Amino acid sequence: MKLGLTISSAGHAALLAWGLVTFSPKPFEPVLAESLPVDVISSSEFTQITAGSKTAKTIEKAPKPVVDKVGERKDPKDLTPKVTDKPEITAAAEKPPAPKPPEVKPPEPKPKPEPKPDAKKEPEPKVDAIAEALKKEEAKKKDEAKKQEEAKKLEEAKKKEEAKKREEAKKQEKLDFSKIESKLALLDKREARRQAATGETLNQTASLGLPTGRAATLSQSEIDALRAQIQACWSPPVGVADARDLNVEIRLMLRQDGTVAADPQILNRSPNPLFQVAAESARRAILRCQPYRLPAAKYDVWKDVEVNFDPRDMFRG
Amino acid sequence: MNPADVAQSALPLTSSDLSIFGLFWQAHWIVKFVMTGLIASSVWVWAIVVDKTILFSRTKKAMDRFEQAFWSGQSLEELYRNLQSRPNHSMAALFVAAMREWKRSFEGSTRSFAGLQMRIEKVMDVTIAREVERLERRLLVLATVGSAGPFVGLFGTVWGIMTSFQSIAASKNTSLAVVAPGIAEALFATAIGLIAAIPATIFYNKFSSEVNKQAARLEGFADEFSAILSRQIDERV
Repeated sequence: MKLGLTISSAGHAALLAWGLVTFSPKPFEPVLAESLPVDVISSSEFTQITAGSKTAKTIEKAPKPVVDKVGERKDPKDLTPKVTDKPEITAAAEKPPAPKPPEVKPPEPKPKPEPKPDAKKEPEPKVDAIAEALKKEEAKKKDEAKKQEEAKKLEEAKKKEEAKKREEAKKQEKLDFSKIESKLALLDKREARRQAATGETLNQTASLGLPTGRAATLSQSEIDALRAQIQACWSPPVGVADARDLNVEIRLMLRQDGTVAADPQILNRSPNPLFQVAAESARRAILRCQPYRLPAAKYDVWKDVEVNFDPRDMFRG
Repeated sequence: MNPADVAQSALPLTSSDLSIFGLFWQAHWIVKFVMTGLIASSVWVWAIVVDKTILFSRTKKAMDRFEQAFWSGQSLEELYRNLQSRPNHSMAALFVAAMREWKRSFEGSTRSFAGLQMRIEKVMDVTIAREVERLERRLLVLATVGSAGPFVGLFGTVWGIMTSFQSIAASKNTSLAVVAPGIAEALFATAIGLIAAIPATIFYNKFSSEVNKQAARLEGFADEFSAILSRQIDERV
């Protein structure tokens, strides 16, 4: 037994010693893959992305949308719709006689039913003298190019005939800087502009967000508030209490003072005979309860809203 | 174990060396105990293996030699005289026991032939049992280590993983750098358990079959010898 124990201990000791030398973990070398930032956001978070720029340095805790101009609150009594004259867009005369696209002109000068509340919606006539000049210049360019090509062809023909005139041809091929300079003067050197963003409070620093973000969307509670105001006037017809699929979707266009601008549209249909009754009653309720009290600064968002009516909500208590 | 202690122990975990000694020293004391026990049992298993290998090969050789001498036509008395003082292997012991009983029956003042055959067989049975017991001794250790080793190692692993998860919970960090050393250290216990258990199981099977073989050989010899003695008895009566 002694012999066995000695041999075994010696063997184990040797094995351990060997393990000490060789058993060293090789550091695992991961293959570096390009990392992809993935974020899960809810749809409401997506719709409420703050207006800002992607490259903004500051990440504010309570990001505010960029606002250059405080949206003015209008007196609800001011009902006269302001009709602003749209400056006519004069298209530049096109030199090559292309078939003119049939201009769809409204039969009568369109009086705008909605007031234009936003300063930012003013359509500025961008097509101006510069555009016209550019087009003319382009036409000229084409002519010149044609002429030059003809000249070139002639020269090439000559080249083939006699090699003496090569020098002259080279002269002709040289860049004519004076022409380019004259065109450079036509470049639009104005700074890039954007339309003024309106909001409740002035805020010049862009927080992280998207240029198209509209943090000032109607929050669910505000839509609920609108619905509550409507439902206050709504008396659903008797008998729809346990109707299942009587959900009425109504599109609602509002003026800035909270009055209804156009006849509310019912968006969905249902085979239920009671549906038409319920929908009509909802429409009447909408018309009866105006004007609605909604945040004026967010008019952009609530001027055209869709509201769901479920008669069951009315009876559920 | 309160979280502060675990957090303390979690700190060295992140900057650990993963050599064999590193794995051992960072372990919880229970895991250390398990590892030490498993290593000790491995040493013991191998000691038994070496011992038994030597014993079996020696016994086999001695049996061969003895059988050769026994069947060579040599006088059994002479053989008995040679072996009487030191029956160094099982078959010789068997032979010596039977011969002693035989001799006693003749040497005494009264010859007791009646039941001699039975007595000799009894004596041989007892000797076979003793010899087999000698061959089988400590084989049970191999069986135990072979079956329990993995469980003991697994216990160490479970304990190690438990503590490493506790330290993860305390450090509130789930990066692989925090998790990996603890688990490596815990798995080390299972590795040692398997290292001890696998040879133990293999050698247990080998040795138990060996013991069976040698026991069968002893039985065969005992039967043959008892047949010879029985003939002698019948002739003398």
